[in-house]
Amino acid sequence: MDGCIATTLGAGDPGAYLPIFLMIMGAIGFACINVVGTLILGPRRKGETKGIPYESGMTPVQSARKRFNVRFYLIAMVFLVFDVEVVFLYPWAATFSNLEPQSEQAFTWLVRIMFFLLTTVVAYLYGFRKGVFKFD
Amino acid sequence: MTDKLIYLWPEVTLFITTCLVMVLGLSPQAEVRRLCAWVSAVGLTVAAGLAANGEPDPNALLPNIMPFAKVVIAAVGLLLLMLLAGTVDREYEADIESGKTKFNPLRSNRAEFYSFFLFSLTGLMLCASAESLIWLFLALELTSLPTYIMVIISTRGAKSQEAGVKYFFLGALGAAFFLFGFSLIFGGTGATHFDDIADSIAANGINPILTLGLLISMIGLSFKIAAVPMHFYTADVYQGAASPVSAMLAFVPKTAGFIAIITICAAVGWNYGPNHTSLPEGLRLVLWITAALTMTVGNMLALRQRSVKRILAYSSIAHSGYMLVGVIAGPGPVGGSFTSNGLAAVLFYLLCYGFMNVGTFAVLASLKHADGSEADDIDDIRGLCSTHPLLGWSMVLCALSLLGMPPLLGFVGKLGLFTSAISAGEYAIVIVLGLNSAIAAVYYLRLIVTPYLDKPAEQDVLRVEKVGIITRPMVAVISAASVIGLVLVAQPLIEASSRAGVATRHGDVHAVEQAAALRDDINEPRP
Amino acid sequence: MLEVLAQGAFAEPMASITLAHYLVLSGAMFVLGLVGFVTRRNLIIMFLCTEMMFQASGLALVAFARYSMNLDGQTFVIFVLTVAAAEAAMGLALVVLLFRKQESLSAEVWNQLKG
Repeated sequence: MDGCIATTLGAGDPGAYLPIFLMIMGAIGFACINVVGTLILGPRRKGETKGIPYESGMTPVQSARKRFNVRFYLIAMVFLVFDVEVVFLYPWAATFSNLEPQSEQAFTWLVRIMFFLLTTVVAYLYGFRKGVFKFD
Repeated sequence: MTDKLIYLWPEVTLFITTCLVMVLGLSPQAEVRRLCAWVSAVGLTVAAGLAANGEPDPNALLPNIMPFAKVVIAAVGLLLLMLLAGTVDREYEADIESGKTKFNPLRSNRAEFYSFFLFSLTGLMLCASAESLIWLFLALELTSLPTYIMVIISTRGAKSQEAGVKYFFLGALGAAFFLFGFSLIFGGTGATHFDDIADSIAANGINPILTLGLLISMIGLSFKIAAVPMHFYTADVYQGAASPVSAMLAFVPKTAGFIAIITICAAVGWNYGPNHTSLPEGLRLVLWITAALTMTVGNMLALRQRSVKRILAYSSIAHSGYMLVGVIAGPGPVGGSFTSNGLAAVLFYLLCYGFMNVGTFAVLASLKHADGSEADDIDDIRGLCSTHPLLGWSMVLCALSLLGMPPLLGFVGKLGLFTSAISAGEYAIVIVLGLNSAIAAVYYLRLIVTPYLDKPAEQDVLRVEKVGIITRPMVAVISAASVIGLVLVAQPLIEASSRAGVATRHGDVHAVEQAAALRDDINEPRP
Repeated sequence: MLEVLAQGAFAEPMASITLAHYLVLSGAMFVLGLVGFVTRRNLIIMFLCTEMMFQASGLALVAFARYSMNLDGQTFVIFVLTVAAAEAAMGLALVVLLFRKQESLSAEVWNQLKG
C-alpha cells in the first residue's frame, strides 16, 4: 500500500510533480482571470437594489404572491440543459480513462463527446439569440 | 456502434439543418428569418438523397427498412413542410414589416416551429434505424416531444392550447406505458439490443415477464398510432390544432409507432402458431383485438361528425386499425411476394396514407372564413368543386383514395393488407376489415358528395375563401396528383416495400425448434 | 410468477432482497401513478403521476440490470432521467401558460373541444 501513489509519480524526482504544479497554477489562474475579467468587463451599477444583502434579482421583503419575470424560468431551462448534459459526461469520463491512450478508439470517443458538447453550444447560441441572458 | 454511423447520415443532415434553422429563425433581419423554410427544404432534400442511396444494414432485424422508410419520411416531410410554411407568425411578421412592432425574439415562434418539425422528422428517421430499446425509446420521444409544442403554438387561440394540453398529458402517459413495457422486455430477455433480444427469445422462449412487457409497450405505442386503448385524444387534438399541424400529427407519430411496433414484433419473430407464421399467441391476440376495435370504433364515431377535421381524425384511427392487420399477418413465407408480406403492406400503406391524408388536410388548410378562422365544418366544403375546382377535386380524389377506390393509390395499399392477411390465414380479421371498409364508405362519401354534388352555400356569413399562402393549394394538388400518379409507378414502390418488409429472423423455424429441443433436454431430469 | 422471480436472488450483500421485491415496488408505483393520473384533476398532480410512472420503469430497469448483470439497463435509466427532465421542463412551461390563461389548474376547465 505504502508509496503506491509516490511510485507511480516517481518519488524523489521533482519533475514528476510538474503536472500537479501546472494544474494548481491553472486553477489559480482561472480563478484570478475570472475575478479580474468581471472587474474589467462587467457593467457597474450602483443603487438600492444592488446594495441589499440578498441580491437575487428580486426584492427580498414583499408579498410572495407576485408575478416574477419569465426570464427566471428561461434561465432555469438553460440550467437544466447544462445539468442534464453533465449527467452524460460522468459515465463517459469513467469509461474513457479505461481506453488505451492515444489509440484510434480513444480518438473516436473524444470526437463523439465533442459532438455531444457541440449540441450544448447550439443550445447556448439559441438561448443567446432568444435573449435569455439579456436582463433589462 | 461506430459502423452504424454510416447509416445515419440522413439524420445527421437533418439535425444540422435543425440547429441552423433554430439560430437563423431568431435573426433580427426579416430576410434571414424567411430563409428558415428554404433551409429546411434543402436539408430535407439532401436527407432524402442520402437515404435513397443508403445501404441496407445486414445486421438489423429488418435490413432494408431504413432506406425505404427514410425516403418515404423525407418525401412526405417535404410535402408537410410546404403545408406548414406560414402557419405561425404571419400577422406578427406583417406587423413588423408595417413598422407596427419591433422584432422581439421572445415573441417569435418561427424558429421553434420549423426546428421542432425537423426534430420530429429526425426522431422518426431514428426510429427506423433503431437497434436497441434505448435507442427506440429516445427516438420515439424525440418524435413526439416537439409535436406537443407545435400543437400549442400552431394558432393563437385557446383551442390549440387545450388540444396541446390533452396531447401532452396523454402523450406522457403513453410514454410511461411503453417505457415500462420496454423495461419489462429488458427484464424478460436480459438484453436491450434487438439482436440479443431475438437471440434470447430464440434460445429461451417466451416468459411471462416478456409477454407482459410486450403487452404494456403495445398499449403505450397505441397512443402513437392512435389505436384503441389510447385513441381518445385524437379527434380533440386534430380539431384544436391548425390544419397543417393536424396533417403532420396524422402522419409522423403514426409512422413512428408503426415502425416501433414492427421492430419489436420482428425481435419476437413471427415463428409461432400452427404453421410457424404468426406472433406468439398473447401478442397476436392483443394486436387482433386492438386492430378490430380500432377500426370499428374509428369508423363508427366518424359517422356522426360534422367537423371535417374530426372525420379525418376518426378516419386516422380507423386506418391505424387497418394497418395493424398487416402487422398481425407478418412477413409471410420467406421469399414471398408483396401480396403475402404484411409488413411490406404496412410500410406501403404508410406511404399511401401519408399522401392522401396530407391532401385532405391541405384542402382544409387552404380555406378560411372571412373572419380569419379555419374552415372545418362540412358545410365549408359544400360545392367546392364549382367554387374552387382544384381544391374541390383534390378533396374528392384524396377522399376516394382514403376510401380505397380501385384505380387509386389507397386501393393498392389496402389490397396488400387484404391479401397478406388472407395468405397468413387470418380470415376473421379480413372479414372485420372488409365490413369496416364498407362502413367507412358512408362518411367518405360525404366528403366526396358534399364538394362535388352539393350546391355551394349562398352568400352567407360563413363563406370560405382561399388563404394567401400559395404553397397550401399546391400541396393539395400535388397530393391529389400523386394519388393517381403513384399508381402508375406502383411497381417499383411495391418492390421497394417488399424488400423493406423482409425480417431476417423470420422463417428461421429450425432455429426455434432446435432451441425448443435444447430446452426440453435441459429441463428433463438428469439420470 | 413471483416464485419464478424469487428464485433469482441477488448476490451476497443483498441476498435477502430478491428481484421480486423491486418489481413489486416498481409495479405498485406504476399502478399508483396510473390511478392518480386517471382520478386526479389537477394538472400538476397528473403530471407528477406520469413522472412517478417513469421512475417506476427506472427502478425496474436498475433491478433487472443488476439481476441479469447487463449494465445496459442502468444506461437506459440515465437516458430516461434525461427525457423525464425534458418532459418536466415542457410540462411546467405548459402549466404556467395555462394558469395565466385560465387562472385554474383543473383539467375540467378545458372542455371546448367536443364532438
